[in-house]
Amino acid sequence: MNAVKIAWRVTRLNFRSQLEYRTEFLLMVAIGAIWQVSVIVFATVLLTRFTGMGGWDSSDVLLIPATRMLAHGLFVLVLGRMHGIGRFIQEGQIDVYLLRPMPVHRQVQLQYFPTNAIGDLTVATGLMAGALSRSHLDWNAGRVTYLIVCLIGGMLLEAALFTAVASASLRFPTADYWSRWLEELLGTFGSYPLNVLPKAVGGFLTFGLPLAFVAYFPAAVLTGHGHDTGVPYWLAAASPLIGVLAYLASRLLWRWSLNHYTGVNG
Amino acid sequence: MAVLHAWRAARVTPLGELHAPPRMTAVLVRLIVQVVLVASLWNGLYDRTTVAAGMSRDQAVTYAVLAVLASRLRELDQYAGRDTVIQHMHFGTIVYWYLRPLSPARYHALRALGEQVYGAAWALAGYAVCLAAGVVEPPRSAAVAGVFVLSLLLGQLVLYHVMLLLDQMCFWTVRNSAAMLILIFAQNLMSGVYAPLWFFPAWFRTLSTFLPFQATLNVPLSLYVGRIELSDAPLQLAIQAGWVVLLHLFTRFLWRRAARRVISQGG
Repeated sequence: MNAVKIAWRVTRLNFRSQLEYRTEFLLMVAIGAIWQVSVIVFATVLLTRFTGMGGWDSSDVLLIPATRMLAHGLFVLVLGRMHGIGRFIQEGQIDVYLLRPMPVHRQVQLQYFPTNAIGDLTVATGLMAGALSRSHLDWNAGRVTYLIVCLIGGMLLEAALFTAVASASLRFPTADYWSRWLEELLGTFGSYPLNVLPKAVGGFLTFGLPLAFVAYFPAAVLTGHGHDTGVPYWLAAASPLIGVLAYLASRLLWRWSLNHYTGVNG
Repeated sequence: MAVLHAWRAARVTPLGELHAPPRMTAVLVRLIVQVVLVASLWNGLYDRTTVAAGMSRDQAVTYAVLAVLASRLRELDQYAGRDTVIQHMHFGTIVYWYLRPLSPARYHALRALGEQVYGAAWALAGYAVCLAAGVVEPPRSAAVAGVFVLSLLLGQLVLYHVMLLLDQMCFWTVRNSAAMLILIFAQNLMSGVYAPLWFFPAWFRTLSTFLPFQATLNVPLSLYVGRIELSDAPLQLAIQAGWVVLLHLFTRFLWRRAARRVISQGG
């Protein structure tokens, strides 16, 4: 309980510190929104020019970027400081965290307030509202609950991927390079049906870099395309669980990497 | 002696890369995967159609893959070397730029030149592999190839000046990360990195013609794939050259104004 109180107080202070430079604060909100709009633009351009993408109705396809973006917005808000941690490591900030009486992971997450998450979540919520209003599905309690669980699972899966890269950064600071690419891949290839891709490529984005579990499989299950994803239905339906398991595994990897961390001074 | 100084300044960031094999491996893997993914995506999209937005499958795939390769031209990690302008402003080391026997403007340009030549080597190697593998189409004629190279050079000059504007902004703002992200986003979106501009609505393309971003990549790539005819090339090249002159004059003016704002710590 005390830890929650401290985290809340630090977050409030971080938020106030972000307000110090008002223009920068507003621009950061804008960048969150603009980044998400770019995903919408890309998806809209493809949807307009190539109707019936992968055999999906356009209103169904819209659910994929909406789910991915909302999960991403939640990730940025709650666990997003794992992204770009290489800079903290290069500047020796992790060495300072190791001396304080608070878990390093928590300190990293409390490093600063992610102002861009405000823009991210605003646009993502708008897109989700749009996707749901255009959807012809019956949004009963079961479907809504599954969607919410999938959003949390998507957030955790994204966090797992970035935590894995962050763990590698503890040993190889240049590994941070991968996190930028990861973000780009998630934005570009996580927003439409992956069955338009060749099977080998779709397989890579499912089992190699599991971004299919963030939004594609959950949306497929929700819209009745769950049997055409190229993986067993139960696996597609278990996407949120895979998110949870991946996140737990990534935290174990983080702990192991931190135990083997040696700073600049040895 | 000037050439030696220029060589030393230009090779700083590429040398940093060459001394970091993991980063180079990452670049290689990323480039291969990105090319495969992008080519697969556009081939998949064209499964049920032959022409979209006036572009055939081959044109779209070639455009998208070349855009991936071209984006390699300016992607070196200056931040790791603590040599970005925002870092120099933050640590106060920007003052050293004004104490060297090399003007800040020239130093900045030489660094960028070194990066772009290094990036071009990657892009060229990638292009040769893609061409041999049949992922991209060769240019339709020698004239198209010549115009493309000229247009690409002008595009890189426009891109350099756009990025320079961002760096120069650091002299007036304490933080510029958000503005930088917005500009990079605009650059990627409006130059055709995310998707060929021809797929966007007409109003979007009209808006793009009033901004410098499409001159960086969309024009050379459209010339290469034949979406802009060779007869229209002189006009497009003139527009690109116009942007280079305009941005050069503006950034030169900003360099002069920026110099007045630099004070070493302690006054």
